[in-house]
Amino acid sequence: MRKRLFIEELMRRLSAAGSRGAVFAAIVIAGLCAPVVAKAAPSGCAALAEKYPDWKGKTLVNAINPHTPGYEAIDPKDPNKYVGFDIDLGEEIGECLGFKVTYKAVTFAALLTTLASGQADIVISDIYATEERAKAADFITYSKVFDGVLVAKGNPKGIHGIDLTLCGAAAAENTGFVEVPLVQDMAPKCKEAGKPEPTLQLYDNNANCIQAILAGRADTYVNDVNTVDNAVKANPDKLEKAVAVTIPYSVGIAVPKDKPKFEEAVMAVMIEIYKSGDQLALLKKWELDPNNLKEPGLLTVK
Amino acid sequence: MALFFHYLSLPYLLEGIEVTLQVTALGLIGGLMMGVILASMQLSRFAVLAGFARGYSIIFRGTPLILQMVFVYDALPHIGIKLPAILAGGVALAANEAPFISEILRAGVLGVDRGQVLAGQALGMTPGVLMSRIIAPQAIRAMIPAFGAEAVSALKNSSLASVIAVQELTLRSTQLASSTFDFFSIFFASGLIYLCLTGAIAIIQLVVEAWLDLDRASSQKRLLRLLPWYRSQPDGEPIEVAEGGIVDAGVAELPPSRPKLELVDHAKRAEMLRRNNIAVGVEGLRKRYHKQIVLDGVEMTVRIGEVVALLGPSGSGKSTLLRCINHLEGWEDGSIRVGGRRLGFADSGRKLSPRELANERAEVGVGMVFQQFNLFGHLTAKENIAGPLRWVHGWSRIDADRRAFELLERVGLGQRADALPRHLSGGQQQRVAIARAIAPNPSVLLLDEPTSALDPELVNEVLEVIRRLAIEDGLTMIISTHQLRFAEEVADRVVLLSGGTIVEEGPAREVLTRPRTTVAQRFLSAMAEE
Repeated sequence: MRKRLFIEELMRRLSAAGSRGAVFAAIVIAGLCAPVVAKAAPSGCAALAEKYPDWKGKTLVNAINPHTPGYEAIDPKDPNKYVGFDIDLGEEIGECLGFKVTYKAVTFAALLTTLASGQADIVISDIYATEERAKAADFITYSKVFDGVLVAKGNPKGIHGIDLTLCGAAAAENTGFVEVPLVQDMAPKCKEAGKPEPTLQLYDNNANCIQAILAGRADTYVNDVNTVDNAVKANPDKLEKAVAVTIPYSVGIAVPKDKPKFEEAVMAVMIEIYKSGDQLALLKKWELDPNNLKEPGLLTVK
Repeated sequence: MALFFHYLSLPYLLEGIEVTLQVTALGLIGGLMMGVILASMQLSRFAVLAGFARGYSIIFRGTPLILQMVFVYDALPHIGIKLPAILAGGVALAANEAPFISEILRAGVLGVDRGQVLAGQALGMTPGVLMSRIIAPQAIRAMIPAFGAEAVSALKNSSLASVIAVQELTLRSTQLASSTFDFFSIFFASGLIYLCLTGAIAIIQLVVEAWLDLDRASSQKRLLRLLPWYRSQPDGEPIEVAEGGIVDAGVAELPPSRPKLELVDHAKRAEMLRRNNIAVGVEGLRKRYHKQIVLDGVEMTVRIGEVVALLGPSGSGKSTLLRCINHLEGWEDGSIRVGGRRLGFADSGRKLSPRELANERAEVGVGMVFQQFNLFGHLTAKENIAGPLRWVHGWSRIDADRRAFELLERVGLGQRADALPRHLSGGQQQRVAIARAIAPNPSVLLLDEPTSALDPELVNEVLEVIRRLAIEDGLTMIISTHQLRFAEEVADRVVLLSGGTIVEEGPAREVLTRPRTTVAQRFLSAMAEE
């Protein structure tokens, strides 16, 4: 997809430049395309592509919630493209099995619904694989989860995680995030400790959660540590990361339950990508913590 | 600020406008089409259709658009209907807009003066002609502001399509904000873009309003007046009554009457009429509004060339009787024949559909003049007359215009042919209405209290026109009126109605001077006191 868009963009410029520029542009295309094409899929891919030929030449839809810079977000330099770790991962899976990827941007809560309704073929969008979610789709897990606690600069409320320090605070979360029930579970515990319950504010995407803290509406936003880091990087004088907490989940690729063959193929490719070292390389490329690296696994619930 | 302008001109956002407009257009066009269907179902004679439309409205107006979007996008695929995102958003928006647009349409249609609809029916217009020529042109004018507001609302509502992956302006803005963290610059930029779009809709609305403004024609004329060869034609306010308040200001507008017939020999005329064929025959007519009996066994025969004055207190059933004769209203029992034909029923006895009834009315030729004139408000005096001739009787434009001018001259309004009804005095309007009613040469002319809504000084001009029709043209007329002197002078026969029955009838002079029944005596003496 990215390559196609890239070429399309050049074609557009080419036609805009008119016939005189055409020759020049053609040369530019030839020159620029080379390095993109050069990035090879892992060596085992050829065998896998042969074993799983069903998706060769197809175009699959990847449903994403593109509000997580580092994982999936639009490219600030060219907003027609999506970029990030998950995007690269999906492209590489596609490259391996011979399909192209297009994207469907939906709210986080709508990711699995979109997959279930057949409006998407796969979901690679930094979604935590939980038992609850595994009722709607099968998950191929590929990354460990570390959460960061985003707070206003100086951490005025002294929040240090989803624990008793959260009592009485206002937490911003995305609708459908796994952190939501964790924060909700704190209510009885705070009550027991004789402290006020934490309140929960539900938003549609990361940006809105971060804005809630910047606007002073919420005290904290607990989410994937890389997302938190990126938010701090964008607003270094207003935000800070209080602490990183471990969450007992893995990040997973969601695939439809009724397509076992596809699931098997994606799983095989993920193992290949992990073994080849490409997965670690991608983590580094997107400046994500190498500790996130995890051997692919499967989470299914009947 | 630099960032703001950067995002304002960012192709990524500008392309989002296109998608926003696509969804909005789908929503509005689809909504308009469905709205027309819903409105016609609700306005139809068939209760099942109306009920279905109402049910649809309740569901789609009563649930949030965001749920409908998700439903069309995520639920319909489960039954095999997988629409692309933009189409899904457009369909959901259309389904949601439809009931609102339907209500605008319905309000517009119902807002058109009921009297004009009656007048159109009386002129023999089929429901289709009535809708396209009379109701729609006026309703659309009235609906433009509401449509403008609805279009703005649809445009803003299209932003909800962002929840179903439609890459419109709002979704693009939020994605951009997420990846760049330039929250406010982006949202101010997209807010301004929305403002420009809604502003454009507002401008379109104003232009359309100005374009459809009926008075625009006269403002054009105001410019024309500056041209040296322009011959002025008064079209502004009604002509003011001259100093001293001449009561027949309108009569003065009429052309000189033809040499008056010698004093009519009433006995001779009555004898002649008695030999004429029956123009209108009413037998045992009974009609109720709910439990109230309005007409209770009315029997009446009117012969060709006869002028009958219907007298009687208010609520005696005069108007209802006239409307029944034209079959503008139904009745429970009895029959009415006009020119030998049983109105409203096919030869087989089957009740006619509204369309067939309209055609029959036009064929049989029953003209009607209403108390409230009921001129078509959006048409000039000339078009009020010429229009129905073209639409109902299939006349050519040239013939219809010639007839209209000829009749306007006759009622003394040749100079006001291009005036809109609202620029005419009541008396002038009623004269146009009479001209309109006699234009297709009806066999019978029904006049329902033609002067009751007029200021006293305007009564004479209208009575004079009617008088000439009776004396000069020998037109068959049934006039309900309170003008006793006029009735005595013009009518051959007087029929006195009270409580839905005929209490007395006979030669005009006889009944009016020597009433036999006490009801008639009481009524006439009460009228004389006024």
